[in-house]
Amino acid sequence: MFKEIIKGMAITLRYGLSRPITVQWPEEQKPATPRHRGRHILHRYYNGLEKCIGCELCAAACPVGCIYVGPAENDPLNPVSPGERYAKRYEINLMRCIFCGYCASACPTEAITLGPQCDFANYRRERTVLTKQELLEAWPKFERSRGDMNQRGAGADQRSTGKSLNPGPSPRLAWEAQADETHEAPLPGHGGIPVNVPGVIDPSEESRA
Amino acid sequence: MANKTTTPSSSEGLAEAEKVTVTIDGREVAVPRGSLVVDAASSLGIHIPIYCAHPKLDPVAVCRMCLVRVGKMPRLQPACATVVSDGMVVTTQSPEVAKVREGMLEFLLLNHPLDCPVCDRGGECDLQDFAVRYGPQTSRFPITQKSHAAKAVVLSDKIELDQERCILCWRCTRYYDEITGEKELVLVRRGIDTVIDSFNGEPLTSDFQGNLPEVCPVGALTHRQYRFQARPWDLQRTKGICPECSYGCNINIDARDFEIKRFASRDNPQVEDMWLCDRGRYSVEKWSHGSRVRHPLIRAGGEVREVGVDEAVAEAARQLGEVLRLHGGGAIGVIGSPMLTNEELWLLQRLARETLDCHNCDHQLDELGNVSADEHSLGIAEIEDCETVVVLGAEPEANTPVLTLRLHKAQLRRGVEVRRVEHDASPASLGIKGKRLVGVIADEVHRAYAADMADALASGNTLVKRLTVTRGVNGRGAKDMGMLPTQGPGYSRVTGGKDGRQILHAASAGAIKALLLVGAETVLRGAGILAEKALAKVDVIIAIEPRAGIVANAASVVIPGHTYFEKRGSVTNVEGRVQRVSPALPPATAAPQETRVLAMLAAALGATGWGTGDPFEVNTMLSQAIDAYRGAGNGGRALWKRQGEPR
Ligand code: SF4
Ligand code: SF4
Ligand code: SF4
Ligand code: FES
Repeated sequence: MFKEIIKGMAITLRYGLSRPITVQWPEEQKPATPRHRGRHILHRYYNGLEKCIGCELCAAACPVGCIYVGPAENDPLNPVSPGERYAKRYEINLMRCIFCGYCASACPTEAITLGPQCDFANYRRERTVLTKQELLEAWPKFERSRGDMNQRGAGADQRSTGKSLNPGPSPRLAWEAQADETHEAPLPGHGGIPVNVPGVIDPSEESRA
Repeated sequence: MANKTTTPSSSEGLAEAEKVTVTIDGREVAVPRGSLVVDAASSLGIHIPIYCAHPKLDPVAVCRMCLVRVGKMPRLQPACATVVSDGMVVTTQSPEVAKVREGMLEFLLLNHPLDCPVCDRGGECDLQDFAVRYGPQTSRFPITQKSHAAKAVVLSDKIELDQERCILCWRCTRYYDEITGEKELVLVRRGIDTVIDSFNGEPLTSDFQGNLPEVCPVGALTHRQYRFQARPWDLQRTKGICPECSYGCNINIDARDFEIKRFASRDNPQVEDMWLCDRGRYSVEKWSHGSRVRHPLIRAGGEVREVGVDEAVAEAARQLGEVLRLHGGGAIGVIGSPMLTNEELWLLQRLARETLDCHNCDHQLDELGNVSADEHSLGIAEIEDCETVVVLGAEPEANTPVLTLRLHKAQLRRGVEVRRVEHDASPASLGIKGKRLVGVIADEVHRAYAADMADALASGNTLVKRLTVTRGVNGRGAKDMGMLPTQGPGYSRVTGGKDGRQILHAASAGAIKALLLVGAETVLRGAGILAEKALAKVDVIIAIEPRAGIVANAASVVIPGHTYFEKRGSVTNVEGRVQRVSPALPPATAAPQETRVLAMLAAALGATGWGTGDPFEVNTMLSQAIDAYRGAGNGGRALWKRQGEPR
C-alpha cells in the first residue's frame, strides 16, 4: 500500500515539476496543424482575381446552411473573378458553422478553405457573420497578410513560404487599393475583425426600403 | 404531321377518343389512339428521357435520347415520335436501352463545357439530371480536346445564348415556327460546327422571347433578367397570377430573400398554355423596389402622427361618419383599383353602398360603356373551337399579348379563321355567314363596337360569343364585383353615381368632401393634374395604400396596404376565370390585409354582420352573393347566364 502511495506521489511530483503544456493564450499562440479546420478563407489567384465564381455549391453542400452567396455578373473589362460569374455577396455565419469542411470539398475552384484561426468570440453577434471582404485573402500585399501576426488568418497555413510573390499587373488595382486600406490595420482585441464591420444587412430593408 | 393529341386544346376532344391498350415494361395501360409512346409511359409513371420532344411542340425525333425497344421492330424506336397501336409491347428498361442512353449522353457531353457551376440552369437542367440518372459516370474523352463555340452571345436585351452548351434539340427554332410564327432563331453551319444563332445575326425582337429559356432543356438560352440571380434551390416558389394584364396567366413566383427573382410559367392549358409574354415575365423588378408605407399615419394640421391600426381606423371612421352626417353619402367618393382582389373590391363596394350610402364608386377613371356579363362569354381555350374569330383593332393583343399565341395556335392547329379588322368594320363586309361559332374579341374601350358586331353576326345557327379585354390584373373581377358607378355586384343596375374622373372633378370643385381610396395610387396618377387638384382640395382622404406617392402624401388617414404579391384572395381574368393568389412575399407592414381593415372600418362605422374580413370568409360571402361565383372555386370560370338564353 505504502508503495502505491509513493508511486502515485511520484507521478504527481514529476508532472508538478515538469514544464506545463498550457500556453498563455492569447498572448502566446500555438501553430495550427496544416489541416486545421478553422475560420474560412476565400482565396485569390496570383493575379489578384478571386477564385470564387459565386456558384453557391458551398452553400448547397453546407449541412447547416450557414453560407450565403449572392452571385452577380462580371464586367468583362474589369472582372472580379475569371469567367462570367462572381460572388457579389459572400457571408458565413460562424456561430452556425460546424467546421465540417464540406464547403471546401464542394468548391469546384478551391476558392474556399478552412484556415488556422479558431477564436471567434465577440461582443457583437453581427460580427460573427463574416462578410466577403473579411474572408477574402488580402492582395497585393501577400507577404504581410501571411505573416505570423496575421490575425485575419488569410492563407496563413496555406503557403507559408514567406517569399514575396509579385502579384503582377491587375485589372482591379483601384479596387485593391481601397481593399488594402481596410486590410491595413486589424484592431487588436477583436479577433482581427475591425470594429466598424458592416452589420448583417437585412435583405428586406436593403431592397424594399 | 400536327399531332393534336399531344396538345389537347380544350377539355373536349380527348373525352370521346378511342382507347388502345399497350404494354410498357410488362404493365398494361389504355391510352387514347394516336398517343405517343412517351406519353403512354408517363401515364404509367415510367420516365423516358427526352430532349427534342416537348409537350407543346410537334415531334421531330432529332436527339435520339428517347430510344426504346418497340415490339419486334429491328431497331430501337424514338418514343417521342412513335404512335401507340393496339397490343404494342414497349421495353424501356433493358440493358440494350440503357447502353444506348449512355452512348447518347456520352455524345452530348462530348463537347459540352464544364459550366455547371456558373450556368444559370444548373440544378434544374435536363442534361445534368439525365447524365446522373442514365449517363456514363465517367468520360472517355479528355477535357482539353473539347471543341469550343461562342459563349455569352447577347441575342437581345432579354436573352443570352451560350452556343457551347446547346445540344441542338431544335426546340427553340421549333418554338418560333410553331408557337409564335416568327422565325428568329436558326441553325447555322453543318456537322460538328452547327450552332444556334439569330437569323442574320440580328437581335431578337419577339414579344415572347422569355419562353425560350424555358423550352431549352439545357442552359444554352438564359434570361438576362435572371442572370446569376440565384440557384433553383434558393428559390421559394409560390403559385400566382401574372400581375401585368388581365389575361390571368398562371405563373410561379420564385423569390429569394424576400425579393422576387423571376416569374416562371405554370402550365394551364385553359389560359396561357404555358407561354408568357415578355411584358409580364420581365415585370419582376417592379415588385422589389419602390418606397412603401409601413405605418398607419394620421395627418392633421400639417402634422403627421404615426399611430396604431386601431386608432387609424377609428379616426377614419370618425372623419367619414362626420362627412356622412353633414353632407350625406353623395359627398363621398370611393376609388379602388383593378389591382385589388375580388374580396377587397366586393367589400369596398359594399362599404360604399351599404355603410356609406354612397354610389360614387369606381375602380378606374372612366366608365367605358355599358358592361354586361355577355361580354366575356367566350373562353380563351374556346377560341380554338370557333370557326371564325374577329379581333377588333390592335388593342386586345397589345393589352394581353399572350392572346396572340392562342390565336396563332387556333389558326395553325385548328384551322380557325382569324380576322383582324378595324374597330368600326362593318359586319356585312366581313362576309361571315353560315358559321356555327364565331368569336368577337375587343378591348373594353371598344366594347360597344363589339356588341354591335356580335348582334349583327348572330343569326339562326350562328352562335356569337364575345371576349372583352379588360385592363389591370383584376379588371374583370372589379366589374363582376360591382365596383362600378352604375352597376352593382353581378351587373345589377343600381342608382347611378359618379365614375372615377367625375369623382375627381367633383372633389376639386368642392362637391365631394371625402375620398376613400384603396390602392388607388396608380389610378389617380393616370388622371395627372386633376388628381392633384382633387387631393389638395379635399380634407378627408382615407387611403389604404401600399406605396408612398401622391395619395399617401395627401391623405388625412393612411393605412398601409399590401402589394399584389403580399396578399391572399382571388382575381378574375378576362374570360371570368377565378384564380387564387397567395402571398409570395412577406408584407412590408404589420397592418392587416385590406379585407380586414375594411371590415374593421365597417364595424367602426356601425355596420354589423361583416365578420373578421378574413379573405376566405369574404370569398364565401361573395360567392353566396354573386350566383356566377358559386361554382367557380379556384381556377374555374364564373359562368353567367347569357341574355335570352338559359344556361
Ligand atoms: S465548414 Fe461545414 S458547416 Fe461550416 S460553412 Fe463549411 S460546410 Fe458549412
Ligand atoms: S467558394 Fe467555391 S463553391 Fe462557394 S460559391 Fe465560391 S466557387 Fe462556388
Ligand atoms: S439552344 Fe437550347 S433549345 Fe435551342 S437547340 Fe440548343 S439546346 Fe435546344
Ligand atoms: S426526344 Fe425523342 S428523339 Fe429527341
